[in-house]
Amino acid sequence: MSTFLPQFPPPASPLALFGLLLIAGVIGGELAHRVARLPRIVGYVVTGMVLGASGFNVLDAKLVDEAWIFVEIALGLVLFELGLRLDFAWLRRDRWLLATGLAESALSYALMYFALVFLDVGSLHAAVAAAIGVSTSPAVVMLVAQELRAEGQVTERALNLVAINSVVAFVLSTMLLSWIHHEYRASWTVAVLHPIYLFSGSLLLGYAAFLAALWMSRWIGKRADAHFVVLLALIIASIGVARMLELSALIALLVFGVFSRNYDERHDLVAVDLSVVGQLFFVVLFVVGGARLELFELAAGGTVALAYILARFAGKSLAVMSLAPFSRVRPGVAGMLCLALTPMSGMALAMVQGTASLYPEFTARLSTIVLSAAVVLELFGPLAVQFAFRHAGEAKDPGEQP
Amino acid sequence: MSGNLEFKASAALTIGTELELQILNSRDYNLARDAADLIGLIEKNGHPGAVKPEITESMIELNSSVHQRHETLAAELRELRDAVVRAAERLNVRIAGGGSHPFHNWNDRRVYPTERFKQILELYGYLAKQFTIFGQHVHVGCPTGDEAIYLVHMLSRYVPHFIALSASSPFQQGEDTSYQSSRLNTVSAFPLSGQMPFVHSWGEFIEYFNKMRGYGIVESMKDFYWDVRPKPEYGTVEVRVFDTPLTVERAAALVAYVQSLARHLLSDRPRAPSRDVYTLHNYNRFQACRYGLQGVFIDGYTERHVSLRDDVLETLSILAPHAAELGAGAALEDIAGHVRADASDAKWLREAYRERGSLNDVARMQSDRWMGRAVAPG
Repeated sequence: MSTFLPQFPPPASPLALFGLLLIAGVIGGELAHRVARLPRIVGYVVTGMVLGASGFNVLDAKLVDEAWIFVEIALGLVLFELGLRLDFAWLRRDRWLLATGLAESALSYALMYFALVFLDVGSLHAAVAAAIGVSTSPAVVMLVAQELRAEGQVTERALNLVAINSVVAFVLSTMLLSWIHHEYRASWTVAVLHPIYLFSGSLLLGYAAFLAALWMSRWIGKRADAHFVVLLALIIASIGVARMLELSALIALLVFGVFSRNYDERHDLVAVDLSVVGQLFFVVLFVVGGARLELFELAAGGTVALAYILARFAGKSLAVMSLAPFSRVRPGVAGMLCLALTPMSGMALAMVQGTASLYPEFTARLSTIVLSAAVVLELFGPLAVQFAFRHAGEAKDPGEQP
Repeated sequence: MSGNLEFKASAALTIGTELELQILNSRDYNLARDAADLIGLIEKNGHPGAVKPEITESMIELNSSVHQRHETLAAELRELRDAVVRAAERLNVRIAGGGSHPFHNWNDRRVYPTERFKQILELYGYLAKQFTIFGQHVHVGCPTGDEAIYLVHMLSRYVPHFIALSASSPFQQGEDTSYQSSRLNTVSAFPLSGQMPFVHSWGEFIEYFNKMRGYGIVESMKDFYWDVRPKPEYGTVEVRVFDTPLTVERAAALVAYVQSLARHLLSDRPRAPSRDVYTLHNYNRFQACRYGLQGVFIDGYTERHVSLRDDVLETLSILAPHAAELGAGAALEDIAGHVRADASDAKWLREAYRERGSLNDVARMQSDRWMGRAVAPG
């Protein structure tokens, strides 16, 4: 008789979850923006924290897992767009920019590693945490740039530096997989072959997506609406295939973007604005990101997390301050770039997630360090980026909220 | 009052030019906002002539120095272009000629932060941002104010020539406007655009100017956006209707055309200024903007209807001896060749669009062309 009625309580639906997270995020973002004139991202993260483990725990680990697919799509979009910003021709013409990117990655890695080891963190954990810390959150930098409609040398250079340090972080953390396997006594074949499989497989996947995009573009012709669908389809398909083949969707999409920017020699691809769709997923990305943060982890991480954050900032800033001025833009650019490189968030979480599936006990210790640092950097990072772009005069109307 | 509007004599037939150029990003080739950084870097590297900001942050203006001959002007413009290209490549932006950007939105533009530009924004509102269009101004030196007034009137007959020969703004805001030069439609919206009044001498001109200043309508000559105007502080007559051509070579050739024409007008004194030229001015100007060299031209002196193309070719043959004297023969021959072949920058842009089907590609090709991609990256 009552078979047509739902069970009580009804089983959670990922779609309902997606919609509700979006609405909660939008409300949080608007409040942050209206009440405190903060970047909306901060509002999304705080919403996540309130709903998540640090708050009412409505958005618990199980729901976070269910929402994870949306996070992956969001990150996929971000990394694809980030790849589009990485311009080899520019790096060849302004080698100081490339040097700045490599130096800030290397120096911050070294300082984070030594700071952690100095504080008695095991060297493997220190190495992996440092590798993750090399990357600046591309989602935060791109979203703040979008929100402010920032454009100019600081914005463009910041995004290229973020792309460089993301590549470095991916390479480092993939290589470190060998060490993790070795530590947990996996066979040497696994230790050697896993990183090779992961890296080359993801690279090939990204390259294949690029070839497919190129082929479709030539066939369709220059129609932006059709290109939009094709790109989105390829991005989502790449994420799915990466999951099926145990590859890294993030690396694949970064590669897809980089190829699209640098190897579309006949200019077949049409510049497509993915930001409208991106916006949807970004809200969920930051809400879920916030939900994963645990304030008590900050206490647990304590001095270690603080040292990690400081070492990261010192390494990045030292390199940027000493090398960026050689690019001879205007004075003050280097300082703004240092600030723009501070955020750390969504991607770090995903990278932690990546290793979690292999050795949960390894991840537990790692996430205490990385996630407690992320609590701080996810909240203050957007502010730093907003300040940098505004102060550089690159926001659409400086000082005025968009 | 008239003391500060003294016509500063300059050597007859000296030439100089200003080129307003587009700054594009190298991602989707939309307008970028890097004028300040670009100018800063160019200044650090050193360059001939001068480099200045324009009304919005997506524009840059190059000024040549004063020259006697086309040849040296062209060489300087090439050198200046190379300096700009080197700086642009460092900043990963592109520079393009052409009278309009094919697809930017005017409301995305931001006014370059100087007092004068802020005042213009305050006064003209959205027109100031729509003024992100790109023209070439050509100066010809005159020894006296009276000669300058005469030359302004006489050059007015040829305004349709200048428009048709430089037309390079077929696209605006993502649409084909169907015009060869759509840029001038934007200029026409300004209240002080149009033509100089029909005064006969520098004295009469000063009287007019002081009256306008008395009304509080203008403060300086800069406030008049006329097609052709005297520029007393340089001692020149300035032609302002050219769209910025797609190459500096073409820009230099157009200067040679004005110079040869000025020599012909000042030395032969073929006619006296006529009000009829001004009566027909708007019609002829429209024909040139809309149809380019295919437009109809009504000669105010003979009342003859001819195609603009024929009138230009006829003028070129009259100018040949003057061009030869000035060392501009080759430049004018080059212009004649283009006219005979029905080639124009507007046509080139439309063909680029037909071939590629994307205005982003048009903007890219436009910048490739101006940057003369042969320049080694620095």
